[in-house]
Amino acid sequence: MRKNIWLTIGLVFLLLGLAACAALDSGKELPLQHMSAADLGDKTTTCTNCHDARGEKLAFGDFNHTPTWMTTHKYQANQNAAVCAMCHQTSYCNSCHATKLELKPSERNQSESYRQMPHRGDYLTRHRIDGRIDPTSCFRCHGKPKSAKTCAPCHG
Amino acid sequence: MKLRDVYKSIFCFAILSLFCLPWTVSAAQLNFQSDTILRMLERDTTTKDSAAVLPIYEYIQLDIGTPDEPGLSFHLYGWGRLDMADNDYYDDSTAGELLYSYIEYTGEQAAFNARLGRQYLFEGVADTAIDGLRLSSDLGKYFSGSVYAGLPVDYSNENGRDGDSIYGARIANHMTGWYDLGLSYQKISNDSDSDEKAGMDLSAYLPLGINLYGFSSLNLDTDEWAEHSYELRFSAGPVGIRPYFQKFRYEDYFGTDNTSVNPFAFLANSGEELTVVGTEATLPIGNSWTLVANIKNYDYKVLSDSSRYYSGKVIWSGEEGTQLGGEAGLMDGDTDQNKYLLVRVYGYWTQLPAMLPVGYVSSELMYVDYDQAIYGEDSSFFVSVGVGQKFLDDALDVKVSGDYSKDPYYDEDLQAMVTLSYRFGKDL
Repeated sequence: MRKNIWLTIGLVFLLLGLAACAALDSGKELPLQHMSAADLGDKTTTCTNCHDARGEKLAFGDFNHTPTWMTTHKYQANQNAAVCAMCHQTSYCNSCHATKLELKPSERNQSESYRQMPHRGDYLTRHRIDGRIDPTSCFRCHGKPKSAKTCAPCHG
Repeated sequence: MKLRDVYKSIFCFAILSLFCLPWTVSAAQLNFQSDTILRMLERDTTTKDSAAVLPIYEYIQLDIGTPDEPGLSFHLYGWGRLDMADNDYYDDSTAGELLYSYIEYTGEQAAFNARLGRQYLFEGVADTAIDGLRLSSDLGKYFSGSVYAGLPVDYSNENGRDGDSIYGARIANHMTGWYDLGLSYQKISNDSDSDEKAGMDLSAYLPLGINLYGFSSLNLDTDEWAEHSYELRFSAGPVGIRPYFQKFRYEDYFGTDNTSVNPFAFLANSGEELTVVGTEATLPIGNSWTLVANIKNYDYKVLSDSSRYYSGKVIWSGEEGTQLGGEAGLMDGDTDQNKYLLVRVYGYWTQLPAMLPVGYVSSELMYVDYDQAIYGEDSSFFVSVGVGQKFLDDALDVKVSGDYSKDPYYDEDLQAMVTLSYRFGKDL
């Protein structure tokens, strides 16, 4: 009970702070949209073509969309959703991260073989081993009642 | 009055309040995208062997607003599916989900943002969808914050339960060029039960070009750490190196309350702790070649054993998205049933002769060899070929692909898929 009171007070203060400080800029504002590749005349997926690896606002080097980006963007996306939103609609992220999907990402984007999508090929068999080795990797996407429906036919 | 009704009243009031905010004076745009996907496959069902399964999926996305300027906007995205063959393969011949549908207001100052409606949250300890309100803003030069509250979409009306409420917040401290430190909290109440957790996320920019990223989450119901995940990024000459560390306590990570689902609820009671340590090295060669090597070790507390995964990739990137690649991976598990060798090669080729009626050709071949046979089969073979072309000034994208798989679950499985993607944009 005591913990709930402190949490409520903390959330109320944060809410009031948001309202009071909404006019105070951080100096880290990002544009709502990035220039398109056509306007830029260069690929927007390699940030360091134009920005320093450690720029004033971001460590741009760690946002380069390298061939391994699909499996390594977790921390950058978690802390900087506004950076992702400059180029991607939320629907792009929802190919993989969503409440309930019936088509797995590699099926939804079947012909985009270069995207290093999870579960490519016969993952039904491979998941028996990957799931035993590291079930936490399954839990991130299949750990809630709606998303776990794909597991229910066999796992109950 | 139930808490759910209180939330509904607050949301209705908030929706009306949003319309009192100033609309931007610039012309708004309407952007619409439709993706229609038809799949063709065969499956044994409870009523028929080798029954045709013909699901047709429709994904709809609608955005109204001024994408490059602050102001009010509306966003919607969802999918639906109809099984045209209706041969009892699916539990229901129709299915679907509204993934998001929200009104958004972006302020001109301090990165103020308000979203109302169904939305996906991915920040700090939150990785979930809510029907509710989220507010975020900079709080001066060194801080930013966000709060959200509403109904948890993941738990609505599942297994006879009604999701009651979800709320949380994240406050972050920044020293530009030095670090970003976020503290977050989330509580999901579900009837008499609740799931409460706190998290800490960190980006630190250290000397010698070393960057540290990480995330820890604390299960507040048990007061134990559920997860620690951290990685470093630095370069040694031309080689990018990414060592990483993860530690999970199953009981606190998977949860043992009634919000936990199978098969994770079973694992939560095992007392297991998993530690993952690994390193990935990436070597670009010129502008076209990339070599990647990865080694990962899994260590267990209860199992008292370990497994390792080794992989290597070679990737060649050409103009206009063309890419060819190969990958080999070896899972060296603690027992024979946890060992396999994987080989994958793929291609995505856009630089085709103009005489061909397609814009790209994609292909993929994957072979997996299992140390211990599964259902009498000790390997999987998968091959996929696809082509695509754009029409109507690139507004219409047509893709056709076919797959063949021979694996422990399917003797010979053939599938085909046709995708029609149509984009429409208009100034309002």
